[in-house]
Amino acid sequence: MKFRREAATNSEPDATRDEVRDLAEALSLYRSAMHHVADREAARPFVPAPRPARIVGFRFLLAPALAAAIAAAALVPAYSHFHHHSDSGPVAKNGQPNAADARAAVDDTVLMNQIDSELSEDVPDALRPLADVSDQTTSSSAVTEKKNVTQE
Amino acid sequence: MEEIAGNELAIEKREQAMLELADFDEVVRVYRPRILRFLLSSLTDRDAAESLTQECFLKAWSARHQFRGDSSLSTWLTRIAVNLMRDHLRSRSLRFWQKTRGSALDVMDISDWVPDGRSSPESLALARQRVATVWQAVEKLSAQQRTVFVLRFVEEMELDEIASTIGMNLSTVKSHLYRALGIIRERMGEAK
Repeated sequence: MKFRREAATNSEPDATRDEVRDLAEALSLYRSAMHHVADREAARPFVPAPRPARIVGFRFLLAPALAAAIAAAALVPAYSHFHHHSDSGPVAKNGQPNAADARAAVDDTVLMNQIDSELSEDVPDALRPLADVSDQTTSSSAVTEKKNVTQE
Repeated sequence: MEEIAGNELAIEKREQAMLELADFDEVVRVYRPRILRFLLSSLTDRDAAESLTQECFLKAWSARHQFRGDSSLSTWLTRIAVNLMRDHLRSRSLRFWQKTRGSALDVMDISDWVPDGRSSPESLALARQRVATVWQAVEKLSAQQRTVFVLRFVEEMELDEIASTIGMNLSTVKSHLYRALGIIRERMGEAK
C-alpha cells in the first residue's frame, strides 16, 4: 500500500508537484502575514472608527426637515378646516356669493333630501313582518310602562 | 484498560479547562490574539473584528457557568466567535454601504509584511505577490469556505476540531476546504 502511494507520488508530473509546492509556500506566507497583522492589531488600543461625516450630516439635516414636513402635513389641513368653518357662509368678503361654496351647499341639500326620502320609504314587503313585530313590541312595552305607572 | 485511561484523560482535560476558565483575565490575555486573528482573517475589518472579539469574551463570561469542558476552551471560544460572525454577516448583508468602511484591512497591509531572510528583492517581490494572490482569492470565497479555510490554514486546527467548532459534518468541512483550495489554486495559476 505504502509502495503504491509512493509510486503514485513519483508518477505525478513535475508541474503539478511544483504547483502544490507553490501553493503550500503561499499558504505558509499568508499564515505568517495574518499572524503578524493580527498580533499588531491586538497590541493596538481599540479606538472605534468615527462615523462618516455624510451619515452624521444626513442625520442632523434630515431629522429637522422630516419633522417640519410632518408638522406642515398636520397643520395645513387643520388650518384650512378651521378657516372653512370660521366663514359665516357662502358669501365672500365683497358681498358676492362664492360659487364653490354655493355649489357645495346645493350638493349638501340634495344629499339630505335623498337621505330623507330613503328613510321615509315604505317598508319592503319582505321586511313587513319584522316591522309589525317591532310595532307590537313597542306597543306592548308602552302598555307595560303604563301599567307600572298606574301601580305606583 | 485503555478506555479507563482515556476517560481519566478526558476528566483531567475537563478539570483543567474549568480551572483555566476560573481566571478569566488570564483567559482573555491568552486567547484574545487568537480570536482576533480568526475574526480579522475572516472579516478583513479591524473594527468589526475588535468589536466581535470583545463581544465574544463578554458572551463567554456570561455563559461561563454553562461551559462543561467537553471541548477545549479554545474550541469553545472559537465556536462563540463563529456564531457571532454569522450574525454579523447576516446583518451586514442589509448594510451594504459598509463596503466602503474605513477600517477595512487592505491587501497592502498584509502583503507588505513578509518574513525576513529573502535572498533577493526579486524573491521578496514574488513572496509578496503570492500573499496578495492568496488574500484576493480568500476574499472571493463564500463565508463557509472562508471560515473553514481560515480555521485550517491560519489557525491550523484539525479537521474534526473544525467540524465540531462550526457544527458541520467532517465530510462537509472537507468539501468546503477542497473547493476553497481549488479556487485559490486556480487564482494562483491565473496570477502566474
